[in-house]
Amino acid sequence: MLLAAVMITALAACAGTAEVSSDAAIYFTDDDGSEISLDAPAERIISLYSAHTENLYSLGAEDRLIGNYHTAIYPPDAANLDMYDYSEDPEKVIAANPDAVIIRPFITRKAPDFVEALRRADICVISLYPDSLDEFDDYIKKLAMVTGTEQKAEELLSKFHAELDQISNMTKDAEPKQRVFFETTETNIRTTTVDSMAGRAITAAGGVNAAQDASPSEEGSTIAEYGIERVLEKADDIDVYVSQRGAMNSGGSLESIAERHEYVAIKAVKNKRVYTINEKLISSPTFRYVKGVREMARFLYPEIMDNYDAYKNDNEATRAGFADIIVKHEHMPIYVPSSSKYYDTPAKGHTFGMFEDVKWRDDEFDSIETAVYSGAVTWTKDGDREYFYPEGKVTREELAKAVFVLGEFKASGKNIAISDLSDCESPRIVTTLVDNGVFALSNGSFEPKRAVTNNEIIAALDML
Amino acid sequence: MKIKNILAAALAGVMLAGLCSCGAPAEETSSNEQGKGAAKGDASKQAILVVSFGTSYNDTREATIGAVEKAIEASFPDYDVRRAFTSQTIIDKLKERDGEEIDNVTEAMERLTADGYGTVIVQPTHVMNGYEYEEMLELCRPYEENFVSVKYGKPMLTSVEDYEDVIHAVAAEIPEMTADDTAVVFVGHGTEHFANATYSALAYRFNADGYENTFVGTVEAYPDMDDIKAKLAKSGVSKIMLLPFMIVAGDHATNDICGEEEGSWYTELKKEGYEVTGVKKGLGEYKQLQDIFVKHVQDAIDGEAEEE
Repeated sequence: MLLAAVMITALAACAGTAEVSSDAAIYFTDDDGSEISLDAPAERIISLYSAHTENLYSLGAEDRLIGNYHTAIYPPDAANLDMYDYSEDPEKVIAANPDAVIIRPFITRKAPDFVEALRRADICVISLYPDSLDEFDDYIKKLAMVTGTEQKAEELLSKFHAELDQISNMTKDAEPKQRVFFETTETNIRTTTVDSMAGRAITAAGGVNAAQDASPSEEGSTIAEYGIERVLEKADDIDVYVSQRGAMNSGGSLESIAERHEYVAIKAVKNKRVYTINEKLISSPTFRYVKGVREMARFLYPEIMDNYDAYKNDNEATRAGFADIIVKHEHMPIYVPSSSKYYDTPAKGHTFGMFEDVKWRDDEFDSIETAVYSGAVTWTKDGDREYFYPEGKVTREELAKAVFVLGEFKASGKNIAISDLSDCESPRIVTTLVDNGVFALSNGSFEPKRAVTNNEIIAALDML
Repeated sequence: MKIKNILAAALAGVMLAGLCSCGAPAEETSSNEQGKGAAKGDASKQAILVVSFGTSYNDTREATIGAVEKAIEASFPDYDVRRAFTSQTIIDKLKERDGEEIDNVTEAMERLTADGYGTVIVQPTHVMNGYEYEEMLELCRPYEENFVSVKYGKPMLTSVEDYEDVIHAVAAEIPEMTADDTAVVFVGHGTEHFANATYSALAYRFNADGYENTFVGTVEAYPDMDDIKAKLAKSGVSKIMLLPFMIVAGDHATNDICGEEEGSWYTELKKEGYEVTGVKKGLGEYKQLQDIFVKHVQDAIDGEAEEE
């Protein structure tokens, strides 16, 4: 009852009504220029933009979220929310009885009738979008005000900036400076402006944008027409080529870039330094931007960023450490599912984000998901539940399987005698790797169940 | 053989009847309810419309669909060869990215009408008589009366002889099919359509012809990866050659079959300890398979194709 009363007050005081007051507990002007005032944080929020959803989860406000934009699939839990779309009938949103719907100015422009219908139904519509990285903090703070998570926001923002600084510090002395061409759209080879989020990521990662001369196609836009001729003029000056992939205006895939015959002249193509990056990591205003900047730095300075010296010891390895060493040793780009259909498609293997014991907020989340996606590291299914057991040991046989999957080993036909081969789950893999000298025997035994150390993992991966 | 000849004769009869009904003078206009029928074109102006799903990868497209079209073009100099794709997504992407205009089936039929063609052979590059082939027929039907004659060539695997031809065609380019220590695994798309049985029929025929270590699986239907794994385990091979059984080696071939990721055929078979080689070669690239499509065009011209 009390809650309902609070809600009614909150609703009555939202933008567009006569009772907007700068004395309210929560008061700010949103990015459509509407004054928002609420007496208390919103309790039933529908987010109509993937970045809002992601940030609300990061802020720990997921309990206040009752609906999600239909293509938003991060964090993985968000895929379970009821889905809404501004191209649908606004009645669907109204019927869910939200006390706040968070949109962005793009939606106000694209679907004005939809937004107006929500406002007419006395729903508090809040429109937010940071036009540049400089506005990110302010944007997060407004989301925090709406959800009463100001303290969490402060913590996350200070961690966010500290991590960005840390990456910049790691690469700031690297020489020579790596020059990057960043493709945002395959058509006409469009790039991004230097001050866009992606442009700033290149700088933060210690790189130099090879398309410094790119100017926006229209004022305020971060998209810049470039064209293949101008890319080719800079062929010798492009050390790394990065293509942004995503649902809208995607850059080329590795396969389609490989088909651009003129591209053989480009230094990055010659040196096989062409990468793709998911737009959600590098062009979307979320805390995952740190991951995008880190990925960019890994593309530019792999030896610095993928340093695994901390694992060079004889400590017994954990499965989480095993995954991390593999991702760094093999310079695997972190895995990010991109399709909005991801969770609708029946999975043959592991489903991203569905481990009971490794969650998206965990530090080791990306390396574990990436190592599992590569097929190198196994996991366990118990009924419908999936487990990784990050603190578990790594056996000799598990290491052997990883090395075999990652490498290209041929049976040599030597068939060195292995006394405990019958204890091995994959005798064929063990035989091949022993014959190839990747694993030594101890008194004729392979010891498939013995736990390995970090140094043993590194030594085996060095054989790839 | 005898049964087939009887069937062929019966079909030819049906077709003749079909032809007669639309063999009216060119100047006669039709009263088609869709208003498409104008003058029926000039019967001596002949075209072969090659209908494919399509792919946005340019090199791959020319090596597969393009190669089939070229083979048809070379064999039928009296016909103009035209291209249509059934995937609107791919058509739109090519237009936007490369400025390349490719017709969908409806647009192709309209353009053939507008250009005054009277004789049209529609030849799909489909693997089997499944949903895509049926949909293609449905899209073409309303336009039949715009022409003096429209005939349809059959998908790759239709007659008993087709199976034998396909086996010869792939065996000619894959010597590993006769190696003792190597299994050759073809992976098709798989479909909910009853034509999915085509894959098992082909596998049966491989086996009957003595290619005991050649297997046929599918990405989305039966036989699936586990079915093939069980057969591989019994075969005693240590090496596997993995090939898409699709006209174009596109996204499925790149990811689901030859991709280096969990769940792909390549990785899952490797986990079993096999030495796996993935070959991203579409069926359209096999010289003798191109000839099967040429043969199917000829069959259509000769009136051996069934008109439904």
